[in-house]
Amino acid sequence: MIRKVLIANRGEIAVRIIRACREMGIETVAVYSEADKEALHTQLADEAICIGPAPSSESYLNMEQIISATIVSGADAIHPGFGFLSENDRFAALCEQCHIIFIGPTADVIRKLGNKSNARNTMIAAGVPVIPGSKEPLYHAEEALAIAEEVGYPVIVKAALGGGGKGMRVAYHQDELENAFMTAQKESMAAFGDNTMYLEHFVEHPKHIEFQILADNYGHVIHLGERDCSIQRNHQKLIEESPCAIMSDALRQKMGEAAVNAAKAAGYVNAGTIEFLLEKTGRFYFMEMNTRIQVEHPVTEWVTGIDLIKEQIRIADGRELSYTQEDVKLTGHAIECRINAENPYKGFRPCPGRITDMYLPGGKGIRIDSAIYSGYEVPPYYDNMLAKLIVFAKNRNEAITKMRSALGEVIIEGIDTNVDYQYEILNDPDYQSGDFDIEFIADKEEQLLNHRYAAEG
Amino acid sequence: MKLGNMFKKTNQKNYITLTNRKANVQNSGESSPEVPEGLMRKCNACRAVVLAESIIGNQYICPKCGNYFSVPARRRIEMLADEESFKEWDTGLTSGNPLHYKGYEDKVEALREKTGLDEAVTTGFARIGGHEVVLAVCDSHFMMASMGKVVGEKLTRAIEKATERKVPVIIVACSGGARMQEGIHSLMQMAKTSAALKRHHDAGQLYISVLTNPTTGGVTASFAMLGDIILAEPNALIGFAGPRVIEQTIGQKLPKGFQRSEFLLEHGFIDQIVEREHLKNRLEHLLSLHEKNPEAEQRLRNYKEVSESSENPDLNISEELSIAKKDEKKSAWDRVLASRKKERPVGTEYIEDLFSDFTELHGDRYFGDDPAIVGGIARFHGMPVTVIAQEKGRNTRENVLRNFAMPSPEGYRKALRLMKQAEKFGRPVICFVDTPGAFCGMEAEERGQGEAIARNLFEMSGLKVPILSIVIGEGGSGGALAMAVADEVWMLENSIYSILSPEGFASILWKDSHKAKEAAAVMRLTAADLQKHGMVERVFEEPEDLTIETLPELTLKMDRCMKLFFRKQLAMTGDEIAEMRYRRFRAL
Repeated sequence: MIRKVLIANRGEIAVRIIRACREMGIETVAVYSEADKEALHTQLADEAICIGPAPSSESYLNMEQIISATIVSGADAIHPGFGFLSENDRFAALCEQCHIIFIGPTADVIRKLGNKSNARNTMIAAGVPVIPGSKEPLYHAEEALAIAEEVGYPVIVKAALGGGGKGMRVAYHQDELENAFMTAQKESMAAFGDNTMYLEHFVEHPKHIEFQILADNYGHVIHLGERDCSIQRNHQKLIEESPCAIMSDALRQKMGEAAVNAAKAAGYVNAGTIEFLLEKTGRFYFMEMNTRIQVEHPVTEWVTGIDLIKEQIRIADGRELSYTQEDVKLTGHAIECRINAENPYKGFRPCPGRITDMYLPGGKGIRIDSAIYSGYEVPPYYDNMLAKLIVFAKNRNEAITKMRSALGEVIIEGIDTNVDYQYEILNDPDYQSGDFDIEFIADKEEQLLNHRYAAEG
Repeated sequence: MKLGNMFKKTNQKNYITLTNRKANVQNSGESSPEVPEGLMRKCNACRAVVLAESIIGNQYICPKCGNYFSVPARRRIEMLADEESFKEWDTGLTSGNPLHYKGYEDKVEALREKTGLDEAVTTGFARIGGHEVVLAVCDSHFMMASMGKVVGEKLTRAIEKATERKVPVIIVACSGGARMQEGIHSLMQMAKTSAALKRHHDAGQLYISVLTNPTTGGVTASFAMLGDIILAEPNALIGFAGPRVIEQTIGQKLPKGFQRSEFLLEHGFIDQIVEREHLKNRLEHLLSLHEKNPEAEQRLRNYKEVSESSENPDLNISEELSIAKKDEKKSAWDRVLASRKKERPVGTEYIEDLFSDFTELHGDRYFGDDPAIVGGIARFHGMPVTVIAQEKGRNTRENVLRNFAMPSPEGYRKALRLMKQAEKFGRPVICFVDTPGAFCGMEAEERGQGEAIARNLFEMSGLKVPILSIVIGEGGSGGALAMAVADEVWMLENSIYSILSPEGFASILWKDSHKAKEAAAVMRLTAADLQKHGMVERVFEEPEDLTIETLPELTLKMDRCMKLFFRKQLAMTGDEIAEMRYRRFRAL
């Protein structure tokens, strides 16, 4: 029975977990670095224990200190949040050894899913689609042609030792492949002195679609629908929403089943996320499974009405899922914008410092998960996400309108933020139509930044 | 806005519990959180609690602060010995509780059970990098590795076997000292182990002592300090009396770093401090330098000058020398100035150019380690040699550190220790002379500068291995001679060698040190003069401007001449070499 939880994290997710615990009548222990003495999570928890100096390697990643703090405080469980130690199988194993409940999957599952080829093989065995490709190394164009027929065009040829785009070529048709293969192989020989090649199906302009799942200790696994996280910059998500604008019920059911199968195949317990790439053709491929709570979990919470953090704690506490798949209904539309302390107009450079004044919006359908307050000093040592602004409305258009309205009310003084940049994305017609993929930001970066200059000009 | 204590807390029951906490989980079988024993360890240095596995996986070094934890004997053997090579000897010995000390036998038995060790030392045969050795490792987990009869006996037997088999002994020491529970019997183990090491030494065999934290008391005062080469791990406590005892006795607090490895290195008692991760490699290196290389010696014995077209192999080189002698444009004073030039290469640069695999050894084993003299073991075309150089340093900072190559008594004593060591292992000695003179100061006199120089002249004259001395810069008086009682003495064209500095000469004879220039002219201190007087065998022409860049031109010639020197010397027995050296100086 979980009576006291230590939150091995900081920032808004630590605050989010503290709040969930409080509502469940569970006592909370915050841990903090010397730089976070004044942080909201430190102040909000029932107890707070300093675990080391500012650098995360000496504090939020210091397993020994966190375990010691747990024992000293008498907590019986650790919630790892996201980032830091949340997907560290050694830490999860350490908790098991010390009879501390780790709120997440077992160490074994984390380890297995953390290994890419292991995870891929598990998924293939469970019938979850993965990006098809050559299983054996290729040395000749003829071999490549045969494999390409199997995996379907377009295909990408990759050097086994490749990296940085060297020794990589895409072929859209059969007649391009031979040339592409030879060129890539020649490049590989020149750059790496090796002619070993691989070939796989090229997933062109996909959407990043992920499915939230919940699994308990009794073999029950459900999915809570999808999130579209295609708006990303350098693999950093900026805007997430649920449901996906172009998702049909049939596809949702198909992908949801795949996600549930994936979790079952991995022997997964607790909350997790299966990431897929979704092609315009409707074909989708397993990418990886995240064995933790995600930043963007609130959008799922809003359209399903399920509190994911509380479910995580309940599962870790050995209870059965409170919901069946039939109970899960997606209602309305939720969008989340990540507000970061960074300056998009200066190469997105991080901008730590003191928040001199601030005002955050509220009202119907507005949720803010953050750990900032007026006078708060954003430390330079950690992630620069300041707040998550989440809106909910009965459909996507209204949600976008609401988000634009809310972004317009966000005032954070003293440091630079990406609020204006987010506003530009929401104004983009392609975004509004729902017709966008993971290349959206890369394709429109200049345009998104120029708007601001035009406005200022 | 400061948030301090503004929020209400759950345990103050100010919040309403929304979730009905149905106890639908079984409480039985649930164990409360605790850290299992042995999962974590506390680092004494940084006070951090560290996962035991990350310490063990890191060679028992704290991953947070680099502090050394003590290594169990078995793990140490794994770290040092080649895989599967260790064969343990002499297990199951007992002391029989000679003092009938109450509970002692039970305690030993309990420790055997707990640690899985036979006693505080594990001995046996091993290979290190392929070299056969007798390896003994103390384990502080067994009664602080104190030495009683069993430890003494196991070590003595191991040393005796090593002597018999003609293989080196390596003892990795750590100990609280003699074992109190066995009283006077323990004390005698000091004498017993030392006696065995004396026989090992007399048989010409190598002993390398490795000191780890802590090595104290009767162990320091016996086998631990008797190594031909003594290595220590960083920051290990090494001393006879424990720091607490000293503090209580003298009523003072001891300074930081007192009795630590670095302190001992500075005070001349250990050769090298070696980090744990490099220990195996260093031992391998030292062992290989103590292995004879007959092929290399044979090659040197059969050496022939490549360019020798005539019957006289020395011809080419002799011709080069006559050029030097003809160059009369330079005055004696010019050469004095040239010998002191800042850009002139220094001793260690010659070592780098002429030898390979050099490893420096430190300390005189009495008082200190003199930075003005650098010595160690290296290879000359594969043959192990002992190299000793008076070292000026390459810049002002180094000049100061090295006392401008003015050695102190401990420098000469270190040189002598290394020469005696060379004699024991049959290694030739090469000395590089470059000193304005022995250091002139109160401390030097207190520690017997005169005695130290005299002792070197005395011992060098009879050393039964070849000695070659090369004057590369200033050869200042007795301070130079103490490293130049050699079979041959060579000089560079612009080096000098004299009874005194020209300044000193002028001041003694003419009461005016400003007449140094005139003095230089009458002193006959140039290489050419000295060769005329029969004091030196060879003089090397120098490049136009002798610097580190042009040094290879010179060392190339030197290398050829050294091969010729060894060709001659290696053909003689030790006694013949010493006899020839005696005659060389007898004739002067």
